[in-house]
Amino acid sequence: MPGELFEHYQPLAGPDEMFERDGSIRPAYRAFAARLGHWDVAEYHLRQSRADLALLNAGITFTVYSDDQGTERIFPFSLIPRIIGSREWAHIEAGLSQRVRALNLFLLDIYNEQRSIRDNVVPAEIVFGGPEYNLRMVGFEPPLGVYAHISGVDLVRNQDGQFVVLEDNLRTPSGVSYVLENRTVMVRVAPDVFPPHGVAPVNDYPSRLLATLIDVRPPQISEADCRVVILTPGIFNSAYFEHAFLAQQMGVPLVEGVDLVTHNERVYLRSTSGLEPVHVVYRRVDDAFLDPLAFRPDSTLGVTGLMSAYRAGNITVANAVGTGIADDKVVYRFVPDIIRYFLNEEPLLPNVETYAAVVPEEHEFIKQHARELVLKPANASGGYGVLIGPQASDDRINETLAAIEAEPRQWIAQPLQEFSTIPTFQDDKLGARRADLRPYVLTGASTWVLPSALTRVALREGSYVVNSSQGGGSKDTWVLTDDEDMDDVAAAPGGASSQSQTQRSDAR
Amino acid sequence: MTGRLMLSRTAENLYWLGRQLERAENIARMVHVDYHASIESGALVGHVPRTWDALIAATGAAQMFEAVRAGDPERSAADFLVLGRDNPNSIRSVVGAARELARTLRPHISREVWEEVNTLHLSLNSRPSVSEFELYDLCRAIKRAIETVFGLYDNTVLFDEGREWFRCGLFIERADMTSRILDTKYHLLLPAASEVGGPLDRYQWMAILRSASAWEAFRKGNRGEISGTRVVNTLLFDAEFPRSVRFCVRALLRHFGNATGETPPPQRIGPQRLITLLDLDLAAMDTRQAMAIGLHEYLDSLQTRLSEIDQALANDIFRALPTGV
Repeated sequence: MPGELFEHYQPLAGPDEMFERDGSIRPAYRAFAARLGHWDVAEYHLRQSRADLALLNAGITFTVYSDDQGTERIFPFSLIPRIIGSREWAHIEAGLSQRVRALNLFLLDIYNEQRSIRDNVVPAEIVFGGPEYNLRMVGFEPPLGVYAHISGVDLVRNQDGQFVVLEDNLRTPSGVSYVLENRTVMVRVAPDVFPPHGVAPVNDYPSRLLATLIDVRPPQISEADCRVVILTPGIFNSAYFEHAFLAQQMGVPLVEGVDLVTHNERVYLRSTSGLEPVHVVYRRVDDAFLDPLAFRPDSTLGVTGLMSAYRAGNITVANAVGTGIADDKVVYRFVPDIIRYFLNEEPLLPNVETYAAVVPEEHEFIKQHARELVLKPANASGGYGVLIGPQASDDRINETLAAIEAEPRQWIAQPLQEFSTIPTFQDDKLGARRADLRPYVLTGASTWVLPSALTRVALREGSYVVNSSQGGGSKDTWVLTDDEDMDDVAAAPGGASSQSQTQRSDAR
Repeated sequence: MTGRLMLSRTAENLYWLGRQLERAENIARMVHVDYHASIESGALVGHVPRTWDALIAATGAAQMFEAVRAGDPERSAADFLVLGRDNPNSIRSVVGAARELARTLRPHISREVWEEVNTLHLSLNSRPSVSEFELYDLCRAIKRAIETVFGLYDNTVLFDEGREWFRCGLFIERADMTSRILDTKYHLLLPAASEVGGPLDRYQWMAILRSASAWEAFRKGNRGEISGTRVVNTLLFDAEFPRSVRFCVRALLRHFGNATGETPPPQRIGPQRLITLLDLDLAAMDTRQAMAIGLHEYLDSLQTRLSEIDQALANDIFRALPTGV
């Protein structure tokens, strides 16, 4: 049993990742808990301060703008990890891969043959009325038919102990650098709590990402000649650290719009030895800012003429332009049907029950039950504009209902989702805090899921909001690689607990 | 071909990273040497603050400091020079600028180099003030941190075109700073002309040598007593002393040549001509002629030529419009 740290630990209404209902430790956490046994509060503080300093010195920070002294803060990092057993992970992996494959087929279809629209898998007005449906992509097929090369899918473990999909992130999902950095820091400050056979390594990600980007190069370019770049909006973007990190880890140039020029539908990079051709652009710039000639004319972040070079097949853009329509939250409502239609399989990872205001009956339901629902804008991220019905004032609810009335295509609603907690240290004690899980999926010639994820945790007691922009923190995420005997007994919270598990750490 | 290539913007930022780091290191060295010299020699001259004025003048911030002092007579020179957020050439500001550059250069430099620059910036940025007592330790820590960056750069970053630009920045800045350190003698007025060659005069020259890390180098080449001409000779023309202007310009020429091996000739020719001419002139020049022109005037002309080289690099190479596809 873990010692002092957990003395007063109280799980919440939902399941807890570390503890069963009866207070025993879940299989995936056993080796960890045994090793954590000797930590007390002072030890925890010592490790935490080392972790914070390491993150600060590494520059994994954001600037506090309200403060003219340029003070920098780190994104809070919480030492107690999320741990997932190998068998449960295998299920998640299969579910993610299935989902992303289906979404890529859906994108290829709606921009080309449009079979699924004729068969009414997703109503035509939802697809064509989506702000991210991009007419410039119609009739264009990107290399290998892949649109979402890099995907991040937000999961939570619900009341029944099952992982469900909360939303898909297919535009420019961020956060993977935190997965890698959190692990680096965790190994450095808490090597003594890792299980004896370790956890699945994560540092493979940059090489896999580069291989994926090279896979999807324009087919007339040889692998050896293929030049990949990362396009960043620049140093003031909140994810700049990640852009620079990935460029460095992959050994490719990190470019801004001004560094690229187009000529005769080809894209070149301005180097000291002249212009050098570019073939794959991993862009971290939104569609609207990508090419002032094609989209927003006032954008200075993009590259004039990029779209023409793309459509001419001389470059690959990752993720593809127009991918955003597939992670539109109204389209999300239809993803289980998309999986069935394109793959002829049942979805392995279920959706959360969702009502789309654009469907008249569902709009009516939302009006009746707003107080019990979470209302979400269909095309925002970072938790912005989200209204949690049970916790909102009447005025806010009425305001949001009016907004829905005005633009039903832009809103969805879901029942408030109870989800699992992980022990998290706050105010000198461990408390149960809700956490979500964002795994990353790469799609090139094949699909690969990073065996870890970004675990975001709501640091405020009782909160459901895990977004870093709204007071969330993060945790290292361990996927166990050698725990079959434990998994046989119980895979998930709510599963059977007891007798025969061995704490292998003790055997060493 | 996917050989290593250098973005023009990256090249420019590496050049400036070298410049800013070298600048911060020089200011730190000047502050800690001159500050102690001024305390010691205070008895000789009677009024200490002159040294601070000379230092601030050497960083080109004299007028700015006068204006700041007019608004806040209590403002300490040490604070303005070391930590002043209102002084773009304070050590804190220069290190802050270097750190922003390093941030844009993260994909190009190693994690070790980045973390060292970042840690230095964070420690300076969070510092509320510096007392006279702490000045020595602080400046020494800054110097060590920057020298560590230079060491890490050579041991963890590719010896590619980027490094050549980094070294170009370092050497052009060093040449400029050495000439400025030497020029502080011009601002350190002697109470009377008769004191030239006297104890205070010698003391000031010695402080200048120490400010330029040139004391040991000077001693190895000069047995006799410290004189203005000998110090000037070491700091400007000694081809073996790695901080002399002549050495730095020669190094600049070499690193520029290495950096521009692949650069189209029309872009390369302008700066190359300016650096080569300065190198030839320095080789043909000696202390006697420089003194005849007037030391301050000669140093001024050197600084102008270095600044012209800097401009040519920006216009012809870093920001040149692309030619021919």
